[in-house]
Amino acid sequence: MQNLLSLIIFLPISAVVLMGLFQVSLKVLRVISLATSVLVFLLVSYLGLNFDPLQSMQFVEVLPWIESYGINYFVGVDAISYILLFLVSLFIPMLFVFIWDEDRKGFFYNLLLLQTGVMGTLLSLDLILFYLFWEMMLLPIFIMIGAYGYGLRQANAMKIIMMTVLGSMTMLFSILYLGYLFFEDNGFWSFSLFGLSSMSFSSDISIILAAGFLLAFSIKIPLVGFHTWMAPAYSSAPTPALVILSAIMAKLGIYGLWRFGFTLFEGPLSYYAPLTITLSIVGILFYAIHAIMEKDLKRMFAFSSASHLSLITLGLFSINIYSWSGSLYLVATHAISSAGIFLLIGMIGKRIKSIKISDLGGIATVAPKFAFFFAFFALSIAGIPGTGGFVAELLIIMGAFKYSFWVGVFAATTMISAILFIFWMLQRTIYGKVSQKVADGFYELSRVELLLLLPLMLLLVLTGIFPSFFISFFEPTLGMMLFQIGDIS
Amino acid sequence: MSTLLLLVVFLPFLSALVLGLTYLFDTHKRVNEKFYTILGVAVPILVTILSFVIVLDLMSHSSTTVVTAVAFNWLSIDSFHIDLAFVADPLSAVMISFITFIGTLIHIYAAAYMSSDQGFGKFFSYFNLFLGSMLLLVLASNPIIMFIGWELVGLVSYLLIGFYNKEYENVTAANKAFIVNRVGDFGFIIGLGILFVAMGDNGFTFADIKENIYAIDNHTLTLVGIFLFIGAMGKSAQIPLYVWLPDAMAGPTPVSALIHAATMVTAGVYMVARFSFLYNEIPQVGEFIAIIGVSSALFAAIIASYQSDIKKILAYSTMSQLGYMFVAVGLGAYSAGIFHVFTHAFFKALLFMGAGAVIIALHHEQNIFKMGSLKKALPLVYITMFIATLAISGIPPFAGFFSKDAILNHAFMSEHYTIWVLGVITAFLTAFYMFRMLFIVFVADMKNNHIEHKALSKALTYPLIVLAIGATFAGFLGANEAYGGSDLFKSFISLNDINYSISHSTEYMLGFVNVLVSLLGVTLAYKYFRTSPQEPLPNKRVRTLIINKFYVDELYDRLFVQNLRSLSNFFNKTVDEKLIDGFINNVVHLNLYVASKFTSLQNGKIQHYSIYLLSGVSMMSLLLIYILEVR
Repeated sequence: MQNLLSLIIFLPISAVVLMGLFQVSLKVLRVISLATSVLVFLLVSYLGLNFDPLQSMQFVEVLPWIESYGINYFVGVDAISYILLFLVSLFIPMLFVFIWDEDRKGFFYNLLLLQTGVMGTLLSLDLILFYLFWEMMLLPIFIMIGAYGYGLRQANAMKIIMMTVLGSMTMLFSILYLGYLFFEDNGFWSFSLFGLSSMSFSSDISIILAAGFLLAFSIKIPLVGFHTWMAPAYSSAPTPALVILSAIMAKLGIYGLWRFGFTLFEGPLSYYAPLTITLSIVGILFYAIHAIMEKDLKRMFAFSSASHLSLITLGLFSINIYSWSGSLYLVATHAISSAGIFLLIGMIGKRIKSIKISDLGGIATVAPKFAFFFAFFALSIAGIPGTGGFVAELLIIMGAFKYSFWVGVFAATTMISAILFIFWMLQRTIYGKVSQKVADGFYELSRVELLLLLPLMLLLVLTGIFPSFFISFFEPTLGMMLFQIGDIS
Repeated sequence: MSTLLLLVVFLPFLSALVLGLTYLFDTHKRVNEKFYTILGVAVPILVTILSFVIVLDLMSHSSTTVVTAVAFNWLSIDSFHIDLAFVADPLSAVMISFITFIGTLIHIYAAAYMSSDQGFGKFFSYFNLFLGSMLLLVLASNPIIMFIGWELVGLVSYLLIGFYNKEYENVTAANKAFIVNRVGDFGFIIGLGILFVAMGDNGFTFADIKENIYAIDNHTLTLVGIFLFIGAMGKSAQIPLYVWLPDAMAGPTPVSALIHAATMVTAGVYMVARFSFLYNEIPQVGEFIAIIGVSSALFAAIIASYQSDIKKILAYSTMSQLGYMFVAVGLGAYSAGIFHVFTHAFFKALLFMGAGAVIIALHHEQNIFKMGSLKKALPLVYITMFIATLAISGIPPFAGFFSKDAILNHAFMSEHYTIWVLGVITAFLTAFYMFRMLFIVFVADMKNNHIEHKALSKALTYPLIVLAIGATFAGFLGANEAYGGSDLFKSFISLNDINYSISHSTEYMLGFVNVLVSLLGVTLAYKYFRTSPQEPLPNKRVRTLIINKFYVDELYDRLFVQNLRSLSNFFNKTVDEKLIDGFINNVVHLNLYVASKFTSLQNGKIQHYSIYLLSGVSMMSLLLIYILEVR
């Protein structure tokens, strides 16, 4: 399979075009959307079986595109991108099942478009191509929030677009300037990641260029100070958009730092490390405390996500094999946990048309299975042992201690940060007296819902019990990257 | 032996899984209690037998022999290599033998105590999960796996304290327990992090750490020792992280007996003993531990003397006894500390189970002042609890005397006289508040006592008899020469104790003091509470202070809970909405404002445009000249 990656990227968008052209009915739309995403999942799984963990970039495809400017269609996959690729290909079919009863066709089209955008972003190795996909995935999110969202959906959709586009602009500037520098050095253009990374340029310029990328990724993650788009967007987003936003798109900021930041700018990024680590430390606690008094579940877990992403960023900038392994592991396990928790929140919304904590209570009495899964996913976010999150946090903390004592101590605050709000939230939602709304409209998990949640739970437990099996998949890649940038620990 | 060791840990996890899944997916309650009881009790029995086989095997060999078992490689990154591996050495063997044995008795007891409860299956699933986690903690061959067990027992403790989760307050107690424990664990993991960096590439099992301990400088070891102990403060309910334990009594009584008395709360003591090679290098931290221990012991004893809830009294008494254990391990008497863990498990489990029997008999009444003269109604419970009370009060020849005596003697011989005096005062208070409870519940003639008693089943009472035998005779295992024993316990467990030679006459003298103060406590309790005791009223300032537990809960609530909530609101309302979004909005408004000013420039008048043109050109010429001049 030579063009496996292209097939994976373009299958969803082709389905959109074809179905759009033929104006298919809702029934057909559902079936084909699900079938396409399942096919993509199978292709990604097939890719995983043929993946060699000891090699870095694989399944590379290069096609000339805009030759005069050296812009190529250049894609490839390594362990870091594969993990996210696998997760997104797993989540999308689950989301189609989740929105099966939805009668607004746009949901299906947008979700497929989003899949192409995300997968293209993950697999691009040409910076212009990357930028294109990076912007492309924003559009379906904008539409889903703006058109199908809740509350002040249009204003909130506008807010997320404005802030992320601001970051994208600075990144675009950096990309173009990098290409220009390459042209100055070599006499011809290139935007290939590996071409650009071989360049050496003065530290002043590289610090400014790195800032362009850093800003884009900081807004996406979001680091403290760049986060005010997040809670409104999350609270307005419908479940499918929400799952992808928190489980995948926030992690793409981290992914971008890894793939482009550390390949192009190892020097400048260690220059920014103290600042970024400080922001991360502030973020871990600021977001967690922020979450305590949040009144609705989506906003609460938006801040919860941001707190964990701050921890991941901290691990990333501690630059050693322990913190990197931990960060990448947390990228994966937190994606699974948050997909689970946001699906469950979506199910609550389906049942009682509210996700306000004050409307909930006593779910454990009415629907014990639901409560069990809800508690499990919430606790997995708090990093209880037996779930992958525990291992990941442990590794980040150990790596942070390798970096410096104080960073280690602050990384360890993650032990208490998440539990500040999660336990009180559980107390008010699943425990206690049965609330009026829950008594009226709440029902137990259906068989389909159970089937959606079980694989996620299984993945979390397996990653918690057999971490060495999973970590050996990506540890060589991280080791090679660290070797290249000169392990500074 | 290795396979047996693996089975000891994994069987409880396996049965917990089966029980839990059965309960969760048995929506129509078709599975009856028998299934849960048989599986839930059979596994602990089996595990107890396996543990005893392992212990006997260890005893038949020399003291340096250990049984090891590796399940699989858990984590392997660079030089950080962690196996899911277990070690049964004398220390962990002693621990697993009483954990499984007493655990089994409490499982049997619980089968009766919890019968016809809606969540019967769930309860046994959690209970087996606890047993597995505790064994994981104790048998782990490295601190990381130990930490997993450490966290898991905390989680199960949370689930069981909040077992009756329809009551909001119970869940509050459960949350408090988990959060306070996690604060301790925050310290624990900092300790591990420092140790991890200090160990470098030398491995991370307990054996590796022991071998390389001399290569680590004293300053680092001090930090490690203190931070690990913060974890122990949380788990073992010592000042200032003790506040969760009294509230934890919201859980069903078997939970209090197993988790919050006999096993989990002693994990901190076990951890310090496990790291004895480390703490021996840093005696100054050891003294700190002993001071925290004796302060907690005394503090808890004072509060216990004024409580009215039978389970709360026992909870504070547990905290107090744990304080003694920390005095021992802090001052280097590791085997005495573990011996007290061992004897305490018998009499404290017995006290809780007796209290549970009383509570059941009186239809869930927990206030001792509403009990009274139960001696005749519940003779068996009375006798067994009487034995346990004698044991905890340190009256010879019952178990508590020998272990407490060993601890106090060590404090005296190591010249920590203040600690010794405080310890003796605590011993006096212990005898006082325990007999106070015993007299009020069983002997005193209470006028308001018209409650109909419920008959108790054999499964509730037989375990009490077995434990009473233990509470009577377990002490002889550790009796030293002066009392005609041969220190069996100490020579088997062979820890790195700091030893002081002590003459028999000093030994008798100190023992005499201990017995004397205990008898004084008993006498005082007899005088005040033998006939018609009154519930303590908050009518004097000091008494109010003690009844309200020195207002520590209120202080913590104000200090942490309220402040965090206000901070959260501040972040939301002020930082996000005013500061950051305000800044962004101002930028937007500034843009609009500037734009509106500039639009007036485009007014279509030729003469204005020509002025702009002229001034623009002249400005640019000036700039050009300036640049050229500078060059």
